[in-house]
Amino acid sequence: MPQIISMKVEYLILLSFLLTFAVITNAFYVKKQFYPSVVYLTKSSTSLAVLYAQAFVFAILFGKFIQRIFLGPLRAIETEHLYDRAWFSITETCLAFTVFRDDFSPRFVALFAVLLFLKCFHWLLEDRVDYMEQSPVLGPIFHTRVIGLLSVLSILDYLFISSAYMHTIAKGASVQIVFGFEYAILLVSVITTAIKYILHSIEIRAGEQWENKGVFMLYSDLILGLFRLTLYMIFIMVMMKIHTFPLFAIRPMFIAMRAFRKSCNDVLESRRAIRNLNTMYPDLTAEELGNATDTTCIICREEMQVQQSIKRLTCQHIFHKNCLRSWFQRQQTCPICRTTVLRPVPTRAAAAAAAAPLVNAQPAAASQPQAQIPVSTARFPPSPSHLASNSATSSTSSSTPTNTSTQASPPNFNAMGAGVFPQMAFNSFPMVLPPFAFPPPPLPPANFAGMSEETIRAMEGTELSHVQARIQCLRNVRTLLDASMIQMQQYMNIVLTQSNMENGTGLLNNLKNDTDQVLTSSDENNSRNNVLNPINENDADVIRRRRLEHYRQRLSPSTTNQENNNDS
Amino acid sequence: MAGSALRRLIAEYKQLTNNPPDGILAGPISDENFFEWEALITGPNGTPFEFGVFATRLHFPSDYPLSPPKMKFVSEIFHPNVYPDGRVCISILHAPGDDPMGYETSAERWSPVQSIEKILLSVVSLLAEPNEASPANVDAAKMFRENREKFDETAKRCVRKTLGL
Repeated sequence: MPQIISMKVEYLILLSFLLTFAVITNAFYVKKQFYPSVVYLTKSSTSLAVLYAQAFVFAILFGKFIQRIFLGPLRAIETEHLYDRAWFSITETCLAFTVFRDDFSPRFVALFAVLLFLKCFHWLLEDRVDYMEQSPVLGPIFHTRVIGLLSVLSILDYLFISSAYMHTIAKGASVQIVFGFEYAILLVSVITTAIKYILHSIEIRAGEQWENKGVFMLYSDLILGLFRLTLYMIFIMVMMKIHTFPLFAIRPMFIAMRAFRKSCNDVLESRRAIRNLNTMYPDLTAEELGNATDTTCIICREEMQVQQSIKRLTCQHIFHKNCLRSWFQRQQTCPICRTTVLRPVPTRAAAAAAAAPLVNAQPAAASQPQAQIPVSTARFPPSPSHLASNSATSSTSSSTPTNTSTQASPPNFNAMGAGVFPQMAFNSFPMVLPPFAFPPPPLPPANFAGMSEETIRAMEGTELSHVQARIQCLRNVRTLLDASMIQMQQYMNIVLTQSNMENGTGLLNNLKNDTDQVLTSSDENNSRNNVLNPINENDADVIRRRRLEHYRQRLSPSTTNQENNNDS
Repeated sequence: MAGSALRRLIAEYKQLTNNPPDGILAGPISDENFFEWEALITGPNGTPFEFGVFATRLHFPSDYPLSPPKMKFVSEIFHPNVYPDGRVCISILHAPGDDPMGYETSAERWSPVQSIEKILLSVVSLLAEPNEASPANVDAAKMFRENREKFDETAKRCVRKTLGL
C-alpha cells in the first residue's frame, strides 16, 4: 500500500510540473513577452491555481530534501505521528484563517505554510530524540544530524520571534503576535528536546544506568510544561484583548494543560515514592546483599551492585531503589508478591520484632486448643503417662460417664493440625505409640468360685457399666488411631517434600506396623469383652434384657462391639 | 528510565537466544529498534493448532518493564481469546490498575516480574486451553463451546493457511 501511495505522489508531482510547464508556455505563447505573460499568469485564476499547487509541491520537495539532510529515512511511527499532527495543525490553521480573514493574503498564507513546515521538523526532531532511548546503535551521523537540526530550528525560531516582536513594536498589534507566540512555543519545545537529548547523551556516555536521569527528566518536563502553559495562557489573553477568542489555540492549550498536570502528578508521585522508600526501608548493606540468594533485580534484570542503592521491602524482596521508585509511581505493591507496601507500616526492626512472636505464636496456637478443650489432651497427650492415667480412670472408675469421647473427631483435629502443623506433627508423633500399653481390665475369677449370689449379681450390675466403659475406651482408641493416621500422612507429606523418600517410606512402614499391632491389640480387647458375654448370658432374665435394650438405645450409634454384647 | 527498558530488552533477548523455550522463536525485527519484536509460536501438540506456526508482533512501550507490551497475531488464527484483528486477550498483558472487564484480580495482571518468555508461554498454553470466561472472538468462543468439532476444523484450516497449504 505505501508503495502505491508513493507512486501516486510521484505521479502527482510529475503532473504538477507538467501543468506548470504547460501554463507558463501557454502564457508566453499568447503574450510573446516576459512582462505581459507574468501579468497574464497572475490574472488568470486557473494558472494561479496551478502555480499554487506547484509551490506546494516545491515546498514538499524542499521538505523532503531537508529531511534527507537532517533526519535520513523516517521510521513508520515517525511518519504516522507526522501525519496525525499535520492533520490537526492544518485544521487549526484553517480556523486561524477564519479569525484573520481581514488580513488574508498570499503572504499571510505563505507565513502560515512556513510555520507548519517548521512545526513538522520540530515534531520529527522530538520523535528522533525519543528514539535515542530505543535504539542500541547510534552512530556519529545521528548525533551530528540531531545537533544540526536542533541548532537550525532554534535559530529560525529565534529569528521569527524577533521579527514578530519588531513588527509588533513598529506597526502595533497584528497577526504577527500569533506568529510570535507560535514560534515562542516552538522554541520551548526545541529546548525540551535539547534537554532530553543532552540527558540521553550523558546516559549513553556513562554506559550504565544513570540513577538521577529520571528525576531530571521529570523536573525538566514540569518546568517546560509550565512555560508552555503560561505562554498559551498569555497568548489567549492577548488575543482576546486584540481580536476575538482564538479558537484554534484551544486544542494545543488543552494538551499542554493535560501534559502539565501529568508531569505535576508524576513529580508528586515520584517524591512520595522516594520519601516512602527512604523512610520505611533502609538501604541494603553489602553484607546483607552477600547473604541474599538472588541478587538480580527483577525489574531491570540486572545484577545488584553494592554501590547502587538497594531496598528490601517488608516481604523480603530486594530491588534497585530506582527501579522500585518508577514502579511505585504506578502501583504501590511489591512486583513479585503484590503485597501492598506503601502503607505506613512499621520499619524493618519492628517488622522483625513482629515476625518473632509470629513464630512463637504457632506453638502457642497449638497449646491453646489443648487448654480449651480437655479432650485434645487425651487425643494428643504431651506425655504418655497422661493418657495412661486417663484411660485407667475411664476403665476402672465404673460409674463415671465418659463424655470426653466423641466431641473431637478426626476432621476436627485435622483442621487444628493444619493450622499448627509442623509442631503437632513432630512433637506429638513419637508419643502416640507408648500410651496403648493399657492396664489390663479387672477380670472376675474364672469360675466365680467363692462368690455369693448377691456379689455375683452386684458384679453383674457393675459389669455392664464396665463393659460400656471399655467400649467407650476402645472408641477413644479408635479415634486416636484415626488421628494418628492423619498425622502420619501429614508427616509423610513433609518427608516427601523434603525429598527424603527412603527414610520417609521406611518410617511410614514402621508406623504402619505399629498401628497394625495396636489395632490387633484392640481387637484382642474386643474379644476379651466377648469373653464376658457368657457370664451375662448365664444369668439371663427379663429385667436385664430390658436394661440392656435400654442401654442399647442410649448408645444409639451402635457399634459392632455392642452388637456382640447383646447377641444372645 | 527508558534506557533501562532497552537494557532489559537486550537482556531478555540474550536469555531467549541462549535458552530458547520449546516451540518459541522471538527477537527484535531490526537491530536498530528493540521495541518491535516478532515471535513465532508453534501450536501445542494435541490441540487443533498443532503443527501451526503463528507469527506474532510484540510492541514494547518506552517504559517497558513497568507497562506491558502489546501483542498481536500477524497470522490468521481462529481462537476464542484472540480478537479478529489479531490482538491477544490475556490477563498478564493487561496493565495493573485498569480492569476493563472487572473480573481479573490484580494478581493475574502485568508486573515487571513477567517477561517476554512468560508471555509467549502463556499464549501457548492459551492456545491449548482457551479461556471461555473472556471471549475476544465471540464467534470462536461460541463455536468452541457448542460445536467443538467445527471449531477444531476451522482452527486446523487456519493452521494450514499459516503453513501456506
